[in-house]
Amino acid sequence: MIKTIKVALLALIGLAFTATAYADFTFVSWGGAYTMSQQKGYIDTWGPVKNGTTKVSVENYNGGLGEVKAQVESGNVTWDVVDILPVDAINGCDEGLLEELDFSSWEKAPNGDSFLESIPDNGTGVGGTISPCAAPQIWWTYVIIYDPKAFPEKKPKKMKDFFDVKKFPGKRGVHTWPQAVLEMALVADGVKPSKVNEVLQGEGGPDRAFAKLEDLKGHVVHWSAGAQPLELVSSGEVVMSIVYNGRAGAAILSEGASFDYVWEGQVLDGDWIAIPKGSKNKAEAIEFLKHATTCASQAEQARYITYGPMRSCGLDVIKKGEPWFHNGIAVLPHMPNTKKRLKKSILTDPVWWADHNAELKEQWAAWMAGNK
Amino acid sequence: MNQTAKGEILTTDGIPLKVSLRRSERINKFRAFALVLPLTLFIIITFVIPIIAMLTRSIDDKQINTVFPKTFEIYKQWDRKKLPTEEMYATIFGEIVNAEKRAIGKASTRMNYSRSGWKSLIKKSKRKFKKIKEGPYKEQMIAVDKRWGKIEFWKALGEMVDPYTFGYFLNAVDLKYDSNKEIIRQPEKRRIYNYTWYKTVKISVLVTLFCLILGYPIAHLLATLPLKYSNLLMIFVLLPFWTSLLVRTVSWIIILMKKGVFNSILVWAGVIADENRMQLIYNETGTLIAMTQILLPFMVLPLYSVMKTIPPSYMRAALNLGAQPMHAFYRVYMPQTVPGISAGGLLVFVLAIGYFITPELVGGADGQLIGHWIAYHLKSTLNWGLCAALGTILLVVMLTLYWVYNKIVGIENIKLG
Repeated sequence: MIKTIKVALLALIGLAFTATAYADFTFVSWGGAYTMSQQKGYIDTWGPVKNGTTKVSVENYNGGLGEVKAQVESGNVTWDVVDILPVDAINGCDEGLLEELDFSSWEKAPNGDSFLESIPDNGTGVGGTISPCAAPQIWWTYVIIYDPKAFPEKKPKKMKDFFDVKKFPGKRGVHTWPQAVLEMALVADGVKPSKVNEVLQGEGGPDRAFAKLEDLKGHVVHWSAGAQPLELVSSGEVVMSIVYNGRAGAAILSEGASFDYVWEGQVLDGDWIAIPKGSKNKAEAIEFLKHATTCASQAEQARYITYGPMRSCGLDVIKKGEPWFHNGIAVLPHMPNTKKRLKKSILTDPVWWADHNAELKEQWAAWMAGNK
Repeated sequence: MNQTAKGEILTTDGIPLKVSLRRSERINKFRAFALVLPLTLFIIITFVIPIIAMLTRSIDDKQINTVFPKTFEIYKQWDRKKLPTEEMYATIFGEIVNAEKRAIGKASTRMNYSRSGWKSLIKKSKRKFKKIKEGPYKEQMIAVDKRWGKIEFWKALGEMVDPYTFGYFLNAVDLKYDSNKEIIRQPEKRRIYNYTWYKTVKISVLVTLFCLILGYPIAHLLATLPLKYSNLLMIFVLLPFWTSLLVRTVSWIIILMKKGVFNSILVWAGVIADENRMQLIYNETGTLIAMTQILLPFMVLPLYSVMKTIPPSYMRAALNLGAQPMHAFYRVYMPQTVPGISAGGLLVFVLAIGYFITPELVGGADGQLIGHWIAYHLKSTLNWGLCAALGTILLVVMLTLYWVYNKIVGIENIKLG
């Protein structure tokens, strides 16, 4: 009996070793359709994967620096590339949890712009990279969608229409946390998108946003998971909702849903890719990042999801190749970061939100409690 | 049998019987203890120690005191009326520059709880202070960031100068310390926890009541029907029990939404007009309906197992002796089911008070119960002190209920099966 157990244990240990030996390169992201777009966009097309010398194993996580921190501090770094939010890219670099990158030899744009110059600012305040550890991935936004059938005559066009329940009667779908809602309220209150962060972060900024939110009192259905708002709009529970633009794009392009967007005051946020400090495959990981951020790879990813490539040359490739989506539909109308749209967007300020997260979440909860 | 001179009984080996017995008893006791030892250790290591460790976080403020010990010494003498002196600026400057990156990161997070903005201020200062070579520091620090010149930021430090604090507990009931460590109420726009406590307890009590009202007849039916029917019924009770929580929650959304199954049937039947469809989901009603259905088996099963052991002859005897059916039920049958009611009630209540996924999905604006806030602070703000305080209050509420229950009903009257 004991002998059998011993043999079984040894076999298990052996298995574990072979398993780690196979997974020689680990890519970590958020899962779902987004990871799928990365897989098809630039993992499967990477040279060492194509010629079979490297096998990339893809893992999912829920964001945050917790796992990276644990790995770096214990000296056992098993992740090679990780997809992270701006705030974690900044903090992770500050705290020495991510490798710093030297972008000087990375792919130039066809028009001669250097790598960093090809990540345009366009009024968002962020050109180039946000942190020396972060390579560009995509822009995504919170955006308003509506059911065109709900408004047979006049269609909502502006952010203030979302807050105007007299002109556009019906319930609104809003998420259960304050990020993006406050920025949108300020736009509806007449603040120019380029000035929103300044006003929000100034004296009395949040209170001004909350005052504008009073217009929606009694007309809000709150959602807490990304798939819910699409369901709310298509089932008629609400007439308009704030959604993640990638979710809306997928519903429209892949499933033929009939939503329309309101392209004003959308709140933009980025995703970046980085290498945890002390990755065992650092040289390979840098090569991988270089491949993942070429104009071609950035564009290729957009065949599978409607998040916008950060490098403008990626957008150029899409423009030339339209209809670009993998099932033969034009994708640019769904992209959040064309030049025109960026001018009407607000880039969320991760540092300010990290400071005010708890306070505003409590105020927001109190607002929700009074909003019935 | 051997006997010594003193009259003690000896075993065949010549050892007194008492000693021999005691010895073998001891071995048995030791064996019994050894058998439960792994479990005891397991419970201590994975349950008791983590709980104690978590609870101590609710009053622990030592971490920040190890980063700014000297500053806080000087702080205690500060009058808190005008900006601090150069001495305090120089001290905090030195402590920020010399602090380890990780420690200062945690400290800045802690400082941010008492005043939003400290987090980025400390991080920025840590980066930029390297350029400042010598004093006087006050002006140079204010030049780096003007927040160093704002007295509100300095005042906010007042609540952390002691290594232990009740600040987290105050926060958990919408109170806080002011800069002189006097207890005051949170500003009105941030008062949310008392309301959440009220809402959580209210929903838990209502769900427990609804489960009892719905579960009691079902359990009675299960216990009294012939086996072949009751087995079938039992499957109806257990089937949802085995179904994923999310599937059940989402099914309720489909049934209860405005254009959902329930409203459509009512409209079709002409009970309500098409434009008057009822709002049954994304509010408290939806939360109550979904949670009651999800937790119902936890009420039915203990009730059933208790009712199964009550001989039907008791009721027959009561009726035979002339009691009205209601009276017989009330005086004879129900008292015997109390252990099941208590077990089911406690089980449902305990589960309901910590629930957060279902309410969040179906509750809309009302969906954030206390469990939501614990999860939120655990993951998003990393304010584990507040999590621990909320958790401790939850634990105390539960233990109090348990104590009251023990006083009124008696804990021996609980039966899970």
